[in-house]
Formats: sequence, structure tokens, C-alpha cells
Amino acid sequence: MSVLTLVEAQETVFREARLLDEQRFEDWLDLFVEDVLFWMPAWKDDTTLSGDPDRELSLIYYRGKENLRDRVDRLRSGLSPVSRILPRVTHSVTNVMLDAAEGDEGTVYSSFVTHSYQPRTDQLSFHFGRYEHGLVREEGQWKIARKIIYLANDLVPTVLDVNAI
Amino acid sequence: MKHYRLKDLVDDRPEDGVFRVSRAMFSDPALFDLEMKHIFESGWVFLGMASQVENPHDFLTTRIGRVPVILMRDKQGVLRCFLNACPHKGARIASQHSGNAKLFVCPYHSWTFASSGENRAVKWEKAGCYGEGFHKEDHNLHPIAKFGEYRGFLFGSLNPDVSELEEHLGEARHIIDLAADQSEEGLEVVPGRVRFTFAANWKMQVENCSDQYHFTSTHPSLIKVLERRAREASKGVVESSLSGADFWKGGNDGIVGGSYSFENGHALAWGIMPPNPSLALFENYPQLVQKFGKERAAWMFNMRNLTLFPNMQLAVNASTQLRIIRPVRHDLTEMETWCLVPKGESAEARRLRIRQYEDFFNPTGMAIADDNAVYEECQHGLTAQARPWLQGHARGMTATHEGGNDFAEMIDLKPQRSVTGTSQLADETLFQSYYRGWAQRMAEVLA
Repeated sequence: MSVLTLVEAQETVFREARLLDEQRFEDWLDLFVEDVLFWMPAWKDDTTLSGDPDRELSLIYYRGKENLRDRVDRLRSGLSPVSRILPRVTHSVTNVMLDAAEGDEGTVYSSFVTHSYQPRTDQLSFHFGRYEHGLVREEGQWKIARKIIYLANDLVPTVLDVNAI
Repeated sequence: MKHYRLKDLVDDRPEDGVFRVSRAMFSDPALFDLEMKHIFESGWVFLGMASQVENPHDFLTTRIGRVPVILMRDKQGVLRCFLNACPHKGARIASQHSGNAKLFVCPYHSWTFASSGENRAVKWEKAGCYGEGFHKEDHNLHPIAKFGEYRGFLFGSLNPDVSELEEHLGEARHIIDLAADQSEEGLEVVPGRVRFTFAANWKMQVENCSDQYHFTSTHPSLIKVLERRAREASKGVVESSLSGADFWKGGNDGIVGGSYSFENGHALAWGIMPPNPSLALFENYPQLVQKFGKERAAWMFNMRNLTLFPNMQLAVNASTQLRIIRPVRHDLTEMETWCLVPKGESAEARRLRIRQYEDFFNPTGMAIADDNAVYEECQHGLTAQARPWLQGHARGMTATHEGGNDFAEMIDLKPQRSVTGTSQLADETLFQSYYRGWAQRMAEVLA
């Protein structure tokens, strides 16, 4: 089989964004491999992101898809005051570049901005930064084995959940 | 501004079994300005941890109320706190959050200061044709009026006319001891600074840290996740430290915890957490028992939500969170939060503590954002003045009594008031401490 192409890479990260925006969370979860790394480092100071997630704090750090399932279940439970009315979110993903495509693996770098509108409070918020997606081919499909979110604006207004990053 | 008397805002009549707080406390911008001036900028507030400025020339910037300050350690290791403002034109001499610098050069006209706060250069001073009056003035950085450390916790006051720090902390300082005693080397913050805002009054946060009534109402979505994780343990999912404790579960049998009210506005909500492997500290349990005895060691595992009025919280429950509350407006608050750990814990304990922390305490996790949302819901409702008095400070009125109890004696704690009870008691009398501390400081302006 051929290595990961830029078109396939784009297709995968764009699909992920679209599924989140359409709140198709089951389909979103299907994009990830079982032992996915889902990681959003914190900032240690004005200029440095946290590194080793076992020694330094992250905003989100999960190894394993069941953690993402927990997050999705909570978002849709109707029992979370901040999520009872889910924000309307649009992801814009640009500057997609393919790196290190070899065999059944490839790394994809991109930039993102999410705009969120909270019907609960009429608040608008936006978050932006860079993504690093590690893709692997499983049964002919490209799946996400690694999603790292380097969040630029880390002063979080009220909430920032997995649906808006 | 509407002229308030204290009794219009805090209706404190223990003889009638009444304690009420007015909605205006949360919703009036003019009162907020008074709070900034007479509470935050006129008394002790928490600044940060000594471990954040550990080495010579380390510095850390923060605010006291609305005033920027800078903590600096000099070449000899002496730690001081100054207004973060150049005496020349007032520019902040450091705009970074933290760092290490021997010299601070003002970005505007290059006046230069040592890490001791001393002025080292007024640019082109000789050629500047200054008058005699200028030479008589002090050009050093301006030290804040009072600065003190208690077991690695740093506090400052812009007002010189305050009690000594130990007296201000009072008996609440022994709750700090329970954290600081966990390691011979003391405490440190895990690298990684998390900040968030909520569109509500700062006192919502002050109260919620002590609010044992809300957990099963505000956080059922998290509780469902915890229950599922307890049922289906898997290697990729980190066990919550809450699973082994009953204080939050809403039962009505047996004593599961309670509250202590302290002098000067401080308060503690606590719950029994049996020492068990889901707690990072458990690796040191035998040593802690040996060193401190079983009762004191057990207290180190208990849930302890401490508020040091007005701006510091130490929440020991799902992990360990240090919080600084920064009021921005009457209806906007900024939080700075850190994971606080004993130095020298094992890599495995550190990992466990961090994972538990992220899931619970981050605004990107599964609990805190729900708290933020309910504060905001309150802020909307609190603008309604037709019925000024809230009914949220009355649970526990017949359970509270003066002085300590058996649990306090275990750690030689002498609180002003104590409550113990079932999970359903969910005492609210400890909030009264905050408002008595508030009234104490506001008495000078609100007769």
C-alpha cells in the first residue's frame, strides 16, 4: 500500500473537526485507535509548554480511548450544568503539512481555531493553536493514534472541553 | 452609590438562629470597589509559594488586589516583595510571570534595579540637571508594607497596620501544617500553571470550596464516570481518590466529616478519607504513622478544603489543588491554580496525583467547569433584589457549637466553631466565617 498522502492526511483531520462540530461524537470516537494518546500540555510560564506529562501538569492527558468515551458520555449525559446546552462550535483547520509518512504511519501538523457560542450565556469564545496528529492505518483506514493540542490562549473562560479543541 | 450599613448586607443574629447574606454582596459594583480597597488592598493576602522563587535572583509577579507586585530573591537568598512599578513613571519593571534576573531594567527609560530592589542606575543622572529634591527621594523599588512566610506559603499586605502573619492565620495555619509536614523538604508546585475565569463574583468561589451540599447536584455527570471506572477498572484509566470515601455520597448514617470555622474569616470543610492506594500519599503511610502517630497521619489523608480569607484555597480531595482567587470585576473572577505536592514523592505517586488532578481540577476536566457554570447561573439570579436575603447560609445552625471536638483534638486544633455530621448535613455555617471576616474588614467603611 502507498504511504499516507497529503490529501488523506487533510481528509482525516478535517473529518475529525467536522464530526466534532456536527456533534457526531460516536463517529468521532471511531476515528481513534484504542490506545490513543490525547494530550493538551499546559504552559509552565509565559513561553514554555509543559513537557513530561508524568512530572509536569497538562490541561488534558489521556492514554486510552475509554477516557475519551468518558468525556463524551459526560458531555451528552444532561447531568453537567456547563454542558447541558452544548456550545455551538466551529473548528477551522489550516496549514496542514504532512511529515514523516512511512509505511502505515504518518505525522500531520496543522493550525486550528475554534469559535464557540454558548447559548446558555450568549458568550462567544475562541481558542487557537497547533495540532499534531499521529495517524496509523488500521484495516485500510487512517486512524488517529495521537492528537496533541498546543493551545496558544490558555486562559480558559468558564469551560474548554474536548468538543472545542 | 447606595449607602449600605453592615446589617443591610450581613444579617448575623445567632440568638434568633438567623444568618443571612444580601444579594447585593455579589452584584453591586460599588461594593466590589470597596472590597478591593478594604479587604484585598488593606490586609493579608496570599501571594505564592516560596518554592516558586527558590534560587538567588528568582522572581515571581502577581497582584495584591489591583496592585502589581513582584517577589524577588536577592543574591544572598533574602526574599522580598515590592510594588512592581518603576518609581520614575510607574511602568512595571517585570512583565513576565516568573524568571531569574540579577538586574531589572525598566522598559521605558532604563532605570535599573538589583534583585534586592535597590536602584542601580538612573539613566543619564548626572547630565539630567535634577534638583535637590529629586536627590533626596528614594529611587529604590517600593517594598510592600508587610511580607511574611508560613511554611513555604507567602503572604503580603499593602497596609502596615495589620496583625502579625501567624496571628492572622490563627488556628487555620495548622491545616497548612498537615500539608507541609508530609515531606521533610516541604512542598512544591508541579510545573504547569492553569488559569481560568468565570463570569461571577469572587465570593462564589470562596463559598464553593466549603460547599458540601452541591457535589451530588452539580457533579452527577462526574459521579457517573467515577462509578463506571470503579466497576470497570482498566489500565488506561486512573482511579479516583474519591471512590474510597463516603463524605460526598449523600448518605445519612454516621459521621463522615464536618467543618471548622476559624478567626479572621478562614474556614475548613473536611471529610474522612481512609488511607488507601488510590491516594498518592499512601506510599508514605507507614512512615507518617511512625512519625506523627496514627491520628495525625490519618488527618493527612482526609479531605480538607481550606479557605484562607480572602484569596487562597487549598483543596485536598481528588488530588491537591492550590488556588489563588483574583477578583477582576464584581461579576468576573480569574483563578490561578497549581497542583501542590510534597517534595521527594516517588515518580509513580507524582504521576497518579497529576492524572487525578487534571480530570477533576482543570477547567478542561470534568468538575470545575460545572462549578463555574453554576456560579454564573447564580450571578444572573443574584441581580434580583426584590428579595434581598439569600437562604444559603443556614444549614447546620443547630449542629454548630463553640470550640473544637474529638477530631480537632487529634491534631491539637482549636477552631472557633465545629460541626460534624452525616453527608446529608452539609453544613453551611462555616460560610458565616467568611462573612464575619468580611464584616470585620468592612466595618471601617460600612458603619
